[in-house]
Amino acid sequence: MSVGLLVVGAPRSAGADVETLLSVLPAHLPTPVVVALHRGPHDLLAAPLGRRCALPVVEPDDKDDLVPGRVYLAPWGYHLLVDRGSVALSVEPPEHGCRPAIDALFESAADSYGAAAAALLFAGHEDGQEGLNLLQARGGRVAVVRGGSEGGEGQEGEVERLSLAEVGGWLTRLAYVARGRVQP
Amino acid sequence: MNATASAAALEALEADLLLEGVARHWGFDLRSHSRPRLLRRLRRHLREERLESFSALQARVLHDSEALEGLLRALSSTPPGLFADAAFFRDFRARVVPVLRTWPSVRVWHAGCGTGEDTYALAILLHEEGLWGRCRLYASDASEGLLADARTGVLPLPGEDDARRHAESGGRGSLSDYYTRDGNWALLQPKLRDGIFFTQHNLTIDGSFNEFHVILCRDTLLSFNRALHNRVHARLYESLARFGFLCLGRKESLARTPHAAAYEELEGSGHIFRRVT
Repeated sequence: MSVGLLVVGAPRSAGADVETLLSVLPAHLPTPVVVALHRGPHDLLAAPLGRRCALPVVEPDDKDDLVPGRVYLAPWGYHLLVDRGSVALSVEPPEHGCRPAIDALFESAADSYGAAAAALLFAGHEDGQEGLNLLQARGGRVAVVRGGSEGGEGQEGEVERLSLAEVGGWLTRLAYVARGRVQP
Repeated sequence: MNATASAAALEALEADLLLEGVARHWGFDLRSHSRPRLLRRLRRHLREERLESFSALQARVLHDSEALEGLLRALSSTPPGLFADAAFFRDFRARVVPVLRTWPSVRVWHAGCGTGEDTYALAILLHEEGLWGRCRLYASDASEGLLADARTGVLPLPGEDDARRHAESGGRGSLSDYYTRDGNWALLQPKLRDGIFFTQHNLTIDGSFNEFHVILCRDTLLSFNRALHNRVHARLYESLARFGFLCLGRKESLARTPHAAAYEELEGSGHIFRRVT
């Protein structure tokens, strides 16, 4: 199954790393990218995060279409859920003290895309772990990214671990590996 | 199909059967609700009710109207306090209130009022702006349980954050002028409570019940899927007088709705639209 969606979750402390990730996304990416980054009411993120990104970075309205080659950033005060090709915002209570929450995004990606979703979780917060596990259980391809200069350590437990420098390679392999994998 | 994929498929089937049962037995059609949100709320409700599966929930909900009410309550979202979205109320004061002042009487509909936090905030705002006497405020929700809460006029006692947001919204007096304290609860003043017409109305099936000059429907339609969302927008359009105001949530759009061209967005406001044709 080929990848139809890339979801990214990051705590506030990983904001700069998310900017770096966005800067290595190829300009012809064949999937939408949806980002849940912990944020406060006054953080203006779309413009700064879009500076070094080859793709347009937008904060979607509810029920907007998810278009390949665009980056969708969860707005403050809402959970961003994905619903088979479109955005579904939600004002359910915060999770792990966060809205947007990473678990909310990952859980909806697991429901809606299953094995066709790929997820990157930036380490540093409990939010996102549960959603990542669910997505992996549904056959999605997942990895945890360590920030800063820390090295990747290959596998830790069940989940692949990457350094920030290794993310570019992981993205390149994503389509190839996912397509070539033998279904159980 | 591996074990988790088959468990996921089974859960989806059970969810469908639950929604089908609730629609056919109780007439509450949740099948056109936003699927990802619905699944998450249902799972949370299962955990809270300590049930194993949606099938178990279905058995309970079909035989027990209180369990149904509990389910509807679990699916609702209401703002955590008065003036939770201060920026909206500030924009409403700045952009809508001056127009309302020029009209002899104003009918306002708050669609999807839940437990009434935003309804009471709006009532306080209209009172502060000297418009309460000429406004008729209708507030509706599909759930009788939530409405019953709203009608009591009792809210969790506002804290410092609520007072600060009230001030940010342009509130002049003190928020505490509008309620009396009872322990950890606030009893809103009868002059506000008794001036609001709370009525059961299901946006998904019930028709338009009046013509209004202002409609508030904020973050209520997030719970619906796109098709239902558009149908409800057609109903809101029918219910809004020409040159009336439609107030949506900060991230809600009219872009793909059937009557998008009939509205103009008030520049620089948090998604307040004016019907122009």
